[in-house]
Order: sequence, then structure tokens, then C-alpha cells
Amino acid sequence: MTLALRDPPAPDSPLARWDARWKLAGLLALSVGASLLETPGPLAALLALTVALAVVGGRIAVTAVVGRALLLALPVAPLLVVLPLADGRRGGLVAATVSVRLVAVGVTALVLVRTTGFPTLLAAAQALRVPGVLVAVAQAAYRYSFVLAGEARRTRVALRTRGFRLRSDRRTYQTVGYSVGALLVRSADRAETVAAAMRVRGFTGAFHTTVAFRTTAADVVGFAAAVAAVAGLVAWDRGSAGDE
Amino acid sequence: MSDALSARQLAHTYADGRVALHPMTFAVRAGERVALVGPNGAGKTTLFLRVAGVLPGTPGHLAVCGLDPALAAHRSALPAKVGIVFQNPDDQLFAPTLREDVAFGPLNLGATAAAAVAVAEEMLARVGLPGAGDRTPHKLSGGEKRRAAIAGVLAMRPEVVLLDEPSMYLDPRGRRELIRLLNGLPGTMVVATHDLKFAAETCQRVLVLDAGHLVADGPTATLFTNAALLDRHGLELP
Repeated sequence: MTLALRDPPAPDSPLARWDARWKLAGLLALSVGASLLETPGPLAALLALTVALAVVGGRIAVTAVVGRALLLALPVAPLLVVLPLADGRRGGLVAATVSVRLVAVGVTALVLVRTTGFPTLLAAAQALRVPGVLVAVAQAAYRYSFVLAGEARRTRVALRTRGFRLRSDRRTYQTVGYSVGALLVRSADRAETVAAAMRVRGFTGAFHTTVAFRTTAADVVGFAAAVAAVAGLVAWDRGSAGDE
Repeated sequence: MSDALSARQLAHTYADGRVALHPMTFAVRAGERVALVGPNGAGKTTLFLRVAGVLPGTPGHLAVCGLDPALAAHRSALPAKVGIVFQNPDDQLFAPTLREDVAFGPLNLGATAAAAVAVAEEMLARVGLPGAGDRTPHKLSGGEKRRAAIAGVLAMRPEVVLLDEPSMYLDPRGRRELIRLLNGLPGTMVVATHDLKFAAETCQRVLVLDAGHLVADGPTATLFTNAALLDRHGLELP
């Protein structure tokens, strides 16, 4: 069964062709920009920019972008209700600012992961001087998230075959707690073995990769455009804040 | 022929006081194929981890390709000499693609990215996974994972390969392919297994371990006909 399955390739797009190092730096600049903006106009413009990047530059389906944006907005939805009630217009503005920032950063991250293969992303992070151990940890976390998900699925099936059904009672919570506990213990055991397997293959903490990069003028222009956009939005934001 | 691996009064006790290996002495000649058999808890994996320098030990009891795994200075050179294929390939395949995973060892040993990719592609082809470099480990079958894990070890061109329960999780076809693969590989090999039929098809010599004791050492053909010995140590005739 598993033989036929492969990861869907990242769709070809201008962003997929952008050198991952410049792309990572450029999108990072956009995320930092999102955290700096405080007034509605510039924030809305940044959100529109990130969505346009996703849909036009990354050729990600609009439904996927909107779906992710709504998912990201879900945790802050209570703020949108509570803050206007507690602090009137000011509270509403704060809630909207937090929500838009979160969605803008989330969409930027979506652009990054949907237009960049994971090994390339790790190599780009390393090229941008992210510590090797952190990159290796990210790599292992990505890989083992699938293994753990598989184990959780098997545990769930094993529970169901013994008549277990999710209910809102003490026994359900206890069973779920035991299962999660067992999964964590197995993960800890596995972490030790994985570390041993890496050490016997010469791992000493440095991250190495087979991915090679080649910068073109378009890559630099893309990065410069992202930085310029952030600078322009921040200037607009500060101007708007001064007017108020 | 020189010894690839020699143990002299080798023992191991874990930090919690549990004795995993009682003093044992044996040698494995370069190019030899040896099966390490025994029931669960016999000490097979502990022995492997000592040989690979993963577990600490006292210097002077073990020599692997002229290196003592208990010495820090020698330990850093061990990965180029000894490779372990772990019992569960999911413990070993940690990179997002097979190419990155197989290239991991050569890159750690200082190979250039181009050379590491070349050796990764070569080894994947050698284990029967040609052109699979872009595939993700979590989408491989059990047999493919096992072969990819072996490719990751072979890519470092070790003199000694240790395989921990290599036939576990394999269906008959995967098991048969693995036997064919191992029998076609050069170099010294030690195979820890419960699967005596598998051991008989891949190794000429057998070490029997039970509760941390080395209880028998001899040709496969002789030991595997000794029903009393096998029965005494929780094993079954192949």
C-alpha cells in the first residue's frame, strides 16, 4: 500500500522557484513587519499582501488560504467578542490588530511551507545561521511526528477493538490519559535510540545537507521588495499613529 | 586473517546495577559472518551498543578494527569503521527524504554534498531502491525501510556491519530479499537475531548468548543441530 504513496510535489510557482534562503529571509521580514504594525490600514494592507503572495505568487488555492486563515483566527475569536464589550472601540481595535497579525504571520508561514520542500527549508535555515542542533531537532521532529501519529492511530484502533468508545466520563479521560502517557514514554525511549543511531553515523551536533543553493538577481530583488514593502508599511503605520 | 572485532573479558553493568553482559571473550575475523542468537534480554543489543561505543565501558576489553570504543579519542573514529542497523528502522530513518538520510553519515564524515549524494544514490540502488532518493521514509513499506536503513549504514563504507534483528517486521518476500542482499555484501557482519533460519542462511558461525553469558560459539551447521543446547537457551531448531 505504502509503495504507491508520495508527498505531493510543491506546485511550480514564482515563489517555489525563489532561492529558499532569500525567501526565508524575505518572509521573515514580512512576519516581523506584522508584529510592528499597529494601525488598521497598514495591517490590512500587509494581510492583503500575504494573501496575494499565497494565491498569486505561490499558486495556493484560495480555499486553502481562507481555510487556514479561519483556523488561525479561531483561537483569538473570543477576543473579538470579549474585548469590544470590555473596552469599547479601543478593545475592538486591539482584538482586530491581534487577529490580523496572527493571520498574516500564519499565511506567510503557509506560503513558506507550501512552496519549499522541507529539506530545502532546513538547509536554508542553516544557511541563515540557525544553530545546527536546532535544525537537526526540527528535522527529527518533522519526521517523527508521522511516526507518533501512526502510533497514536494504532493505539486508538487497539482501544476500539477492545470496546472503548469516547464518552464524557471519568473512565474515558483516564484511558486517554494512559494512552497519551504511554505514547510519551515510548517517545522518550525512541528519542534515546534515535540519538544513538545518529551518533553511530558520526553525528556530533552539526547539521549537514545535500541541498545546494544558487542565488540569482531575481532572488535578491524579491528579498529587497519584501524589505521595502515592510519599511513602507511601517512608515505608513507610524504616520497614521502620529495623526491619531 | 586479522580480527575485525575482539572482546576480552568484556562485561557490562547498567547504571541501575543490572548486569547485561557477564565477562565474555571471543573474536570475529575480518570478512566473517557471525550470528548472535539468544532469547530476549540475552544482551545482544547491549553488546552491539558497546561495540559501537554508544555505551561507556572500561578500556582494554574490546578492540574494533584496531580501535577501543571505551576511549574517547578512538570513539570519534568508530562511525567510519562500524555501522549498526537498528532493530526498528523508524529509529534510524530520521531525515525527510531517503537521499538526505543515506547521505547523513557521509556528510558527517566530511564528504562534500555532491559526493554524499552520489554515494546515497549508489547505495539506494545497491539495496534495491534505485531512484528512491526523493521518497519520504514514513511512506515506505517495512521491507523498504529496512533496506533504506541498511543503505544509510553502507554509505559510510564500514568495515564491520552490526544488524540488530534485521528480519523483524518483514514479510516472507521482504525477508528473502534481505537474505539475498546481505549475502551479496562484502565485509564483516554480525547479525543479532531470534530467527535461526535467517541466521542459518546468512552466517557461518554462531555465538549463543543467554542472560548476558556467552554459552556457545561454533559453526552454524554444528550448533543448529544441537537441539538440547538450543532448547536450554530458549531457542528453537530452524
